[in-house]
Amino acid sequence: MQLIQNIAAIAKGMSITFMEMFQPTTVENYPDGKGPMKGAVFQERFRGMHVLQRDEQGLEKCVACFLCAAACPSNCIYIEAADNTAEVRISSAERYAKVYNIDYNRCIFCGYCVEACPTDAITHGHGFELASYNATNLVYRKEQLLAIAPAHQGANAMFNASEPEKAKAQA
Amino acid sequence: MATLVNHPDEVKIVSRRFGQGAANIDRYLELDGYKAVQKALELGPDGIIAEMKASNLRGRGGAGFPTGLKWSFVPKESAKPKYVLCNGDESEPGTCKDRLIFEHDPHSVIEGAMIAAIAVGSHAAYIYIRGEYRYLLEIMQKAIADAYAKGFAGKNIFGSGYDLEVYWHGGAGAYEVGEESALMESLEGKRGVPRIRPPFPAVVGLWGGPTVINNAETLASVPHVLLMGGKAYAEVGVERNGGTRLFSLSGHLARPGVYELPLGYSLRKAIYEVGGGVANGRQLKAVVPGGSSTPCLKADEIDIALDFDSTMKAGTMLGSGGIVVLDDQTCIVKFALRTIQFYRHESCGWCIPCREGTDWLQKSLKRFHAGGGVAKDIDNIRYLAENMLGRTFCPLGDAAAMPILGFVKKFREEFEAHLDGRPCPFGQHDAPHALPVLSH
Amino acid sequence: MADATQNVTLTVNGKTITAAKGTLLIEACKQNGIEIPAFCYYPGLSLQGACRMCLVEIEKMPKMQTACTTPVAEGMVVQTETEKVVQARKSTLEILLANHPLDCPVCDAGGECELQDMTYKYGAGESKFIDIKSHRDEQQWSPVIFYDRPRCILCYRCVRVCGEGMDVWALGIQNRGQGSVIAPNQGGKLDCEDCGECIDICPVGALTSSTYRYKTRPWEMTHTGTVCAHCADGCITTVGVRRSDTGSEIVRCDNRDRSGLNDDFLCGKGRFAFDFASSKERVTTPLIKRDGKFVAATWAEAVELVAARFKKAGASLGVIGSNHTTNEENYLLQKFARTVLRTNHIDHHRTADYPSFARAIASSKAQTASLKDVAAASAVLLIGGNPSEEHPFLAWQLRTAVRQHRQKIYVVNAAPIKLKKQAAHFLQVTSGKEGEFAAAFSGDAAALAHLGVDTARFDPFTAALASESSLLVVFGSELRGAGIDKLVATFAPKGAKFLCLGDYANSRGAADMGLFPDLLPGYQKAENSGLALPQMLDAAAAGTFEALWVVGANPAARHADVNAFAKPFLVVQDMFLTETAQHADVFLPASFAYEKAGTVTNTAGDLQRLKKASDVHGVKPDFEIILRIAEKMGADINALVPFRGYTSADAGQSRGPQSGEADRNAVFTEARGLEAKTSPLDPTITLEEIAQTVPGYAVSRLKLLAGEAQPTTLVQIDPAGIASHSELIVPARNGLYASGTLGGYSETLRAMGATHRAAEPVGAD
Repeated sequence: MQLIQNIAAIAKGMSITFMEMFQPTTVENYPDGKGPMKGAVFQERFRGMHVLQRDEQGLEKCVACFLCAAACPSNCIYIEAADNTAEVRISSAERYAKVYNIDYNRCIFCGYCVEACPTDAITHGHGFELASYNATNLVYRKEQLLAIAPAHQGANAMFNASEPEKAKAQA
Repeated sequence: MATLVNHPDEVKIVSRRFGQGAANIDRYLELDGYKAVQKALELGPDGIIAEMKASNLRGRGGAGFPTGLKWSFVPKESAKPKYVLCNGDESEPGTCKDRLIFEHDPHSVIEGAMIAAIAVGSHAAYIYIRGEYRYLLEIMQKAIADAYAKGFAGKNIFGSGYDLEVYWHGGAGAYEVGEESALMESLEGKRGVPRIRPPFPAVVGLWGGPTVINNAETLASVPHVLLMGGKAYAEVGVERNGGTRLFSLSGHLARPGVYELPLGYSLRKAIYEVGGGVANGRQLKAVVPGGSSTPCLKADEIDIALDFDSTMKAGTMLGSGGIVVLDDQTCIVKFALRTIQFYRHESCGWCIPCREGTDWLQKSLKRFHAGGGVAKDIDNIRYLAENMLGRTFCPLGDAAAMPILGFVKKFREEFEAHLDGRPCPFGQHDAPHALPVLSH
Repeated sequence: MADATQNVTLTVNGKTITAAKGTLLIEACKQNGIEIPAFCYYPGLSLQGACRMCLVEIEKMPKMQTACTTPVAEGMVVQTETEKVVQARKSTLEILLANHPLDCPVCDAGGECELQDMTYKYGAGESKFIDIKSHRDEQQWSPVIFYDRPRCILCYRCVRVCGEGMDVWALGIQNRGQGSVIAPNQGGKLDCEDCGECIDICPVGALTSSTYRYKTRPWEMTHTGTVCAHCADGCITTVGVRRSDTGSEIVRCDNRDRSGLNDDFLCGKGRFAFDFASSKERVTTPLIKRDGKFVAATWAEAVELVAARFKKAGASLGVIGSNHTTNEENYLLQKFARTVLRTNHIDHHRTADYPSFARAIASSKAQTASLKDVAAASAVLLIGGNPSEEHPFLAWQLRTAVRQHRQKIYVVNAAPIKLKKQAAHFLQVTSGKEGEFAAAFSGDAAALAHLGVDTARFDPFTAALASESSLLVVFGSELRGAGIDKLVATFAPKGAKFLCLGDYANSRGAADMGLFPDLLPGYQKAENSGLALPQMLDAAAAGTFEALWVVGANPAARHADVNAFAKPFLVVQDMFLTETAQHADVFLPASFAYEKAGTVTNTAGDLQRLKKASDVHGVKPDFEIILRIAEKMGADINALVPFRGYTSADAGQSRGPQSGEADRNAVFTEARGLEAKTSPLDPTITLEEIAQTVPGYAVSRLKLLAGEAQPTTLVQIDPAGIASHSELIVPARNGLYASGTLGGYSETLRAMGATHRAAEPVGAD
């Protein structure tokens, strides 16, 4: 009886093995895959490198409230705040982040900063290739974290082009 | 100059000299003027207060506090001077009685204030007149000057050896100053904001001295009480509500005007007989019985007596006696909006519930009447009013909250009729409305 | 007012409590651990009753009552947390928030906002209201004060503190109802002293300061309570510091935690004038002058050069100390000068005649007053001085005492100073003759004639003064030498306490620590007197001096002869290239008060502890600089700082940028009855020596470490041999917008001064 049970168990286990042998592979071919992602595939919920978002006007959403830094369990966010002026407006509120650094040596991608943010300024992007030979390179500055400026602010040349120019470009 | 009205049911005591040129001191003297004050000098403080208590005279300003009792609270001995203050800052919407007294019988107020001063041992009386009553101020100035000229005021009045100065003071246009402590602040030259109580004015009042402060109509009644005798005066009215009072009938009435009716008179009779009923043959919708700060009564609730206690029992107040009648074509929402606009404008801004509450009530009602109302607004308006009631520094918050609460409770269906962007059922939109952009 | 002699018993939330008769219910509850929330109520200010947050239910009262205006009564039964009460508070918050901008992430007050705290507690987080909020633009009222109207909840605290507390009355209310706004009474700008009390007292972020706004958040700062670096009152200030690329940056000074003598008071200087610490002009590396130009050097180079030149100079060396440096530094400096350099040519800028004061007190066995005594005194005689301008905290205390317990102030002054308004009696006397008041009071007719006062004014004043049973005598630098002797001799027999007013943060400490050519620490007579400051400078100008060592002072600001600084080998320890430092041969960058540990003594003799709050890379405390020079000169360090277990390796290491490390160490060792023996650079050991050698300084170390001001005394001093040098006293006359040389480097203070009338300083240090 004991013997039969053992054989059955082995047979059951092996049957799964054999079944899976004929399924298509689910292993990602990173980094030898095609396209800019080099074969990497992500779920939407994946928490990668942070992105500092901009609002509809292209202004930075971050108002330097320091709540992300306060929420951060690994103390990896460093901010210096400054005052917006009439001439130089960076964010829509009175204050903006003059310096915004995230130290990826320490970041554990827990997402608390994203949860804490009252203006939805900091989000997790899908950036993941963060390895470096030099630890100091892992301190990312605001310029590296910011989302690109929206098209009408010049990021997309087509957006600002006149109608004839667009027609010409399409032709 | 306002046209005077009459009705056979009136009992003319305070108004008996109206229309007889009593602003002239000689004419006033012919009409038993300044006799009461001389009697008061004979009676002395205790005698006066006994008469006042017997008369059941209650404050005509709105709260209805027994006058004799109020005077008896003033300490006999005081290190600081005592004062008598006449509150003539009549600003309650729907009320216009003091105005007639100042216009037709200014000396009766002076005389009443003098009697009060003698009763409490004060040597200075101030008559504070609402800022907007500029023309009445001139009448009062002349009356006081005449009284001084005759030797009735100033040093050694009527040769009795009693010194009594009488002053006038004009307001600067604030409803809030009708509140007694705010009036004292205003008189002292400060912002018209109420004071912390206790101490009460009878102990620490004007310039820190014990102060008696009475409504102009109350003081104008005082000489008559002394001349008639307290008991006789009390018998004119009903139990615990002595004498008569001036009722200002206004709104959609056939014969609006100020009528002097004995306390305890029927509200229904006041509207349908004295006031001549609802104008233009329309039906009665609601009555505001005592000035804009009192909760309204519906058409089927008007079978009550006009005295302090009966109105209280009916869930409203006799207030300042300003009866405002609304016909069936009146939009209650708009009336509520107009009422709260007044209180928002007049809130002194001292305390949070009143300052912020009146503002948000106005904002909500304005949007609501403009057709931008949502279902939860009705409860929110009620919630706001309920949370102002009894929480504010002075009664102004209550005055603003009570009528709104009354309207929402009694005419909820009219509020509901304004919902879902429907136009005002009474066509009383002020103008084509651009709905405000809603936040949230 | 509360009557401590009678108690009433009442019940709050079922708990029986006892409070003095007349106590307000809110205070009685607070004393018994029951918190009642309030916005408008503020202890010490008049009652407002406006915010309606403190509503409580009291039995037999139909309506809820405000706890802030209701005095306790016998048998009162109070409920502070019933459903009805909580609902009322919640609804009040709800309508407040209806128009309050929800910009907490940006607002300066976010994190320390009373409205935020209460919203958390009573949970009115969701708004019922959908209408548009009213908005008004932000206004700037003064160089330092900004007002954001929509955030204001109109609690009127600012209006009251400005009027009642500061007696400035610059703020008022405009309009009424919903349109009410707090506004400056004069046009759109504040006509005031820029004390910033209004900002401090604001429960929300409506009032903000230019120095702090939008820079950081409260929890991002490190807070350290230390002693203010400006005037001689010695207010405790909580320095808020955040890290920066230069080490750390001071972003805020206040005293919200009400630690120290000064409760929550700070003047404009203490609150805003800290930016000189991060001034661009600050020097952070040692400089050596080569061919007439300053060249950056290492500490080792600079110290070596100084040591070599000092060795060469021998006794032909003058030392000028400072009235900003700590007691330990001053003590070490004079000890080093006298034992290692073997010179008595040591002095400092004297702003008050403390030696004569010490002599007078010790001779008459009189009592000195602590600043704590001012508020409690029933009567104060103020001769000379101008506290409103030069001692803002003293003036605040006097005003508060007059307001709260009708203290009587007797003012004798040559000018109608601002405190005249609070004075019960005022006597204007001839300028420069204030010192003769005591003689005139004793009946000297000639002195009375000098005062220039007729008897009709003098007699009522003295009669009232003579009737005072207990008296606190405060006098300014107008009184010197014999004038102080006479004053103390006159009023000491009546049991009066005395307070002498000087000018800088540690003037009194510098005097007590013996920065005198003729007096050792504790005013003990030195065997051979050295040269006093002016004579030293003359000698230096004449070329007699080999070297001149200026530690944290700026004598060139008052001394016109450039040769005095150009001729000798000049070593300057300071923060900036001041007028004096321009001539230096070696400049050593020093830390200032907020960057080091130690103790300072305020003008009343209260010993308080400085704690290291911030740090700037490159600079060193004067204590360390002196020791390093001593070490290089081959002096016995262990003799200078009686530190056991010294090895030279210890001296080589500074304590690093972590603030408070030395302090924590000291607390630890003190609490265990141990002696601090970590490093000779720890000034705690020198404090121990001071306590043993300077009479009156043997105070409780534990209380001192705990942050309590400890009054020192002068009465044990040996008065023999203390000479008066009245001619050496040069009052600084720093007004509200000047603070000697340091103040000149504060942009904020300059901006404040530019918009206000400022008293001209006579001499800077």
